[in-house]
Amino acid sequence: MAELQVLLQHRNVPGIDGIDVYESHGGYAGLRAALGKERQGVIDEVKASGLRGRGGAGFPTWIKWNGLPKSGPAQHYLLCNADEGEPGTFKDRELLLKLPHMVVEGMAIAAYATRSTNGFAYVRGEFVESAAQLRKAIDQAYRRGYLGRNILGHSDFCFDLHIHTGAGSYECGEETALMSSLMGERGQPRLKPPHGPLPVVSGVWGSPTLINNVETYACVPHILTHGGAWYAAMGTQRSPGTKIFSVSGHVARPGNYEVELGTPLTELIELAGGVVGGALKAVIPGGSSVPILPAEKCAGVTLDYEGCQAAGTMLGSGGFMVFNDKTDIVALMRRTAQFYAHESCGKCTPCREGTRWMSRVLDRITSGAGRMEDIDLLLSICDQIDGRSYCPLGDAASWPIRAGIRNFRHEFEHWVRHGSSPISGFVPPVRSHGPASVPGRQE
Amino acid sequence: MVAASAGRFSEAGLAQLTEIVSHYPDPGGAILPALWLAQREYGGWLPAEAIVEVAARLGRPASEIQGVASFYTMYNMQQRGRHHIEVCTCLTCGCLGAYEVIDELERILGIHLGQATADGEFSLTEAECLNYCEAATVVQVGERYFGGVNAENAADLIARLRGSEECTPVSLSNAIVEAIVPGYFASSAHG
Repeated sequence: MAELQVLLQHRNVPGIDGIDVYESHGGYAGLRAALGKERQGVIDEVKASGLRGRGGAGFPTWIKWNGLPKSGPAQHYLLCNADEGEPGTFKDRELLLKLPHMVVEGMAIAAYATRSTNGFAYVRGEFVESAAQLRKAIDQAYRRGYLGRNILGHSDFCFDLHIHTGAGSYECGEETALMSSLMGERGQPRLKPPHGPLPVVSGVWGSPTLINNVETYACVPHILTHGGAWYAAMGTQRSPGTKIFSVSGHVARPGNYEVELGTPLTELIELAGGVVGGALKAVIPGGSSVPILPAEKCAGVTLDYEGCQAAGTMLGSGGFMVFNDKTDIVALMRRTAQFYAHESCGKCTPCREGTRWMSRVLDRITSGAGRMEDIDLLLSICDQIDGRSYCPLGDAASWPIRAGIRNFRHEFEHWVRHGSSPISGFVPPVRSHGPASVPGRQE
Repeated sequence: MVAASAGRFSEAGLAQLTEIVSHYPDPGGAILPALWLAQREYGGWLPAEAIVEVAARLGRPASEIQGVASFYTMYNMQQRGRHHIEVCTCLTCGCLGAYEVIDELERILGIHLGQATADGEFSLTEAECLNYCEAATVVQVGERYFGGVNAENAADLIARLRGSEECTPVSLSNAIVEAIVPGYFASSAHG
């Protein structure tokens, strides 16, 4: 049982955030390799790697890249989704902080492959230090000819890269909402197929737009340096490569761990030093949006897209949260619902109203005033949001609550019957005034 | 192109805005960065005059700028304490003592969540996930992050903030990540 570090291999090398040390550890070899190929050859290499989007959806990366026009005068935009906001996830923050050149290099390779001339890294507003590191890396890359005009002497390759700082909105991690936000609008989603165009056809400012997650771009230099087949040899056949998991909660050594896809879930817990403070009760393996797995369902689960799905959950963003047996699941679900109620952008009714009602019903249960029918009411609200919202935020709000009830219904019933927690000594926080408020500002 | 306007943007701020506008094919793209600049130029929040100035500089209706600014949580539509303390209470932090931290901060400061101290030094809110879950409980104060905060060291946090320079609201640079527990980040960095 061990990590397999591809992206994170050099993260603790002093100065690896600077261009000299990065280059001396193989940095920008991937970009050079890419420029030695035709553009389609780069896309084919990514196809051979089997890389799937690391932001949560797991969509094959090469299909996106291949979807942009191969000719024509249109300006193409290349976006990096660094609006990491999924609760429990902190991999993109560390990648930008420690290995910003890897992300810049991956974006430059993608820009070459997709004929994109203008790039934006949309960095979460709170990530001040990560954004500063990325800005420094971009400046260095310009000075060394990895960005800007005629990159590495290539007469037909120009790529400008800028940072766009978010301002506090989970919804902006959804790719079409991110595009709205980049264009200076409220961070609300836009129509997607079958009702609207794919971003690769018409994205920001009506132009073909490629958008990938930070970790996805960070994989690309390695794939170009060592070859798609080398990458595909890691992980499983359908989920190739490695994945960074952000492990937090009741473990001895929380942090980012990079393992091969297909690694047993229980091994990741051991890597992080095992469960502390009690026995394992549950795991949320892929960020707050994915269904919670009770301990008894963890054995035999492998951490790959298919393995998680077979277990009734999802790999998601890799935000891996571990909870011991002192955890009150109903209180955890109440806090989850509070998050989605706060972050719903308000555009569509099922999500705007549904997330709020879920939050209020869970408030009622954890205040001790719950009614037995509230449990089925919650399930009914989940059904009315799931699949009916404008963007996946609504789905993501309903999945964890539904799974929480399905797997821990007895704890909800205990709360209703006794008006108190099934966990002895647990007192729920009496802070049900909802979203973080500021002086004088009403929710 | 940045238009002339009455207002409080400094020379440096205007130069920065002009540079930022040049990054985007449409000046609309500069709205979010312009609001960040305005928040800095107006002392950490966006009074009505700041909205009007951004609108004038970018040639957009003030109603549009107000609509955008009010959507995002990091644009302060109200003045906050000089040290605006945001305690993450989301899933991991919430299970690892964040609520005890809030109890203790409320006790020390004599205020409740959502309030500011009478001298305007501190304001206190809870935050959604700050994505520093490995360092739970995490507290953000302007540009500074504090990891490993608990009920026992919450008083140290306040003492450190009291003794520190003006803690500017989040702008575009100069971040400091600090560990309240010495070596906390080091010990959690493995491999």
